[in-house]
Amino acid sequence: MKKKILISPIILFFLILLVFFYLLIIDRNPSELPSVLINKKVPTFEAKSLLENKTFISSNEFGNETTLVNFFATWCKPCLDEHPYLKKLSNEKGLKIIGINYKDDSKRAIKWLEKLGNPYSSVLVDPNARLGIDWGVYGLPETFIINSNAVIKYRLVGPITKKNYDAFVLKVKQVEK
Amino acid sequence: MIPSLGNFTLWLSLLFAIFQFLISHKKNFYSVLQFNKIAVNGLLFCSLVSFFSLMYCHIISDFSVINVFQNSHTTKPLLYKISGVWGSHEGSMLLWILVLTIFNYFIFKLYNQKNIIFISKTLETQAIITIGFLLFIILTSNPFDRMTSSHTNGLGFNPLLQDPALAIHPPLLYIGYVGFSAAFSFSVAAMSIDVEEKIPWYSYLKPFVLAAWIFLSAGIAFGSIWAYYELGWGGWWFWDPVENASFMPWLLGTALVHSLITVEKRKSLQSWVLLLSILSFLLSVIGTFLVRSGILTSVHTFALDPARGIYILTFVALLGGYSLILFGFKSKNFLNRHYFSFFSREGSILVNNIIMIVVCASVFLGTIYPLLIEIFSNNKISVGEPYFNSVTIPIMIPAILVMGMGPMLSWGKVDVIGILTKSLPSILLAAVISSIFFWIYRSYNMLGLAGIILAFWIISNILLTTIQQLIVKNKEVTQENLPKYSIGMIIAHLGVALLILGITGSSIWQKEKIIRMKVNDETSIHNYNIVFKGISEVTGPNYVALQGNFWVYNNKKNIITKLKPENRFYPVTNNSTTEASIHTNLARDLYVVLGDGDINEGWIVRIYYNPLVIWIWIGAFAIFSGGLFSMKNNLKKLKRLSI
Repeated sequence: MKKKILISPIILFFLILLVFFYLLIIDRNPSELPSVLINKKVPTFEAKSLLENKTFISSNEFGNETTLVNFFATWCKPCLDEHPYLKKLSNEKGLKIIGINYKDDSKRAIKWLEKLGNPYSSVLVDPNARLGIDWGVYGLPETFIINSNAVIKYRLVGPITKKNYDAFVLKVKQVEK
Repeated sequence: MIPSLGNFTLWLSLLFAIFQFLISHKKNFYSVLQFNKIAVNGLLFCSLVSFFSLMYCHIISDFSVINVFQNSHTTKPLLYKISGVWGSHEGSMLLWILVLTIFNYFIFKLYNQKNIIFISKTLETQAIITIGFLLFIILTSNPFDRMTSSHTNGLGFNPLLQDPALAIHPPLLYIGYVGFSAAFSFSVAAMSIDVEEKIPWYSYLKPFVLAAWIFLSAGIAFGSIWAYYELGWGGWWFWDPVENASFMPWLLGTALVHSLITVEKRKSLQSWVLLLSILSFLLSVIGTFLVRSGILTSVHTFALDPARGIYILTFVALLGGYSLILFGFKSKNFLNRHYFSFFSREGSILVNNIIMIVVCASVFLGTIYPLLIEIFSNNKISVGEPYFNSVTIPIMIPAILVMGMGPMLSWGKVDVIGILTKSLPSILLAAVISSIFFWIYRSYNMLGLAGIILAFWIISNILLTTIQQLIVKNKEVTQENLPKYSIGMIIAHLGVALLILGITGSSIWQKEKIIRMKVNDETSIHNYNIVFKGISEVTGPNYVALQGNFWVYNNKKNIITKLKPENRFYPVTNNSTTEASIHTNLARDLYVVLGDGDINEGWIVRIYYNPLVIWIWIGAFAIFSGGLFSMKNNLKKLKRLSI
């Protein structure tokens, strides 16, 4: 019996390698993350609001104007870099941005927004990544552009930065048309 | 001319490696010795020439070489031209080969009349590994490939990598990874040779494992220092896949360093050590695979190429398949019925090993979990800091508790009451020091409490055992059963205690302030007042920078320091980096980062008050030096073996 255990490392090892091989062979580019949600209606969901004592219902909120949905967290350092650009989008472009606070400590998130300013029209809490799974979130931050018919048109993985800000604004304009 | 020489010697290295593989199974002592002498020295010489040829190309900025063209620029300072050799994927693989051949040379030096078959078998395995990597570099990523068109300047480089800590980080890390290749080869050799031939294979293994572990520790420490200074995020560890790739072999290495002591002293756990040696090297190569194949994205932006991924994976499959099948069949020869009690030195080492394995498995799972989920559910998820922190910290706590006790226990004996009375003084001492600490800092938090108490628990144990040892020495008593403490162990364990102190302080009591500041604005963080005195433009060798000038005052209005964080812009690559400015003392770091902004609106300034950070680096240095002491002793032991 005991001697049979000795061959278990090799079995485990090859199982793991099989996974890696499969990932290499299938055509996939990790930095380009196509979303199955593109051109689909936004998922319906409800969530607690971070700052107000009320429940957010998705069907009431989308569909009137172009809206951004931004997943962020205080533990996500790139989110910090992204923050000024979200504010710019909200203040200068007048865009409605819905923030989803992903797997985070609510107290810290409130403090964070107090310090940095709040670009979001509503902030929802997603403590156990339930919404993140619905939206297929891969890594923080992620931003979705939703058009006025409540259809998801674009997904950006990673922060909006100095580099891609203009390109992102262009995408928003395309969606608005 | 020089690039051709480099390329030629690279091919020649391959020939020497194949030669080494072919002749190593010969049985005649003198012919094996003579032939291997040629192979090993030739291999070392060729890879040295090849490596320095590439370095030469980088130094003189020979842009006819694609690798130089893509990764260098004439404006780069000399130090970074040199470190640029291993800054790219191709160059770093060449460094890997060089380190491999150096270890190969050291293994060859161990030859003597008694161990001929064992060392030959080791060199044979080492040759397979070398051939594998040489073929990889020649087929998929030759650093000496030439350009068809000519260019007067290079494409530049990643300015984040232009940093002294990062210049030295890869070589240290590679010594670590490659050191495990020696452990791998020794283990394979130990399992391949006849059992009747009693070779103390573990004594050969130990200095190499120690070397690998020491340099891996140092490499990881320098990587963290770089992340702390250069990324400007106020932290020093981010659970990035690349960090995990170095952390996992380190965990197994830690387990290995400890269980090897048991094998040496008590001859138990032999098959376990064999498995660990194999796994540490396989994990090192899998780590390389994860980073270089691009199936995971991370801050390390090596060029992505699926062909490379497939090559490395095939190679890992061959090495792993061969060694683990060998393990499956042969390791039963190393099993023994030598059971020991939980409350013994072996018991504590076993606990250490189990915990290291569990942590390693958890980190591995977290690292590849997004990939697994993607395959089975088509969903993409991210695993970040919350997972790793909440999983690894609770598992580590018992390991640290045992770490304080372990060295006081005797080999093989059970004496629970004796242990309790023995550890009573350290429990008391730890309680007293911790209370003093909290009386001074007046900050209470469950995790903080646990971290500080654990740190002082180890420190108390070390203090008491050292004192005990000194008394015994003075009295010149030689009791047989009194455990002996090696100076290396004492220093390294002290290092871990300091490391825990630093980690706890900097993660639990960190204060962070992010504000927009105009010139002459003032802000305060933890008893310090910080005044934004002005902003100026400075020019460096290949960048221009905005430099903020912050004066820091304490609560008695005395000036403490002037901090000058920079926001650098590198015109060649059109990149900017932030240089944090940090004032360090033994109690805390003050860390200022200059963000975006302009003269009218003001600048976004991030200020961190990071308690006890310096103890992380001091701790890492102590672990490193403790390892060095221990290695010195083990080399002596090995020398005695060969006489």
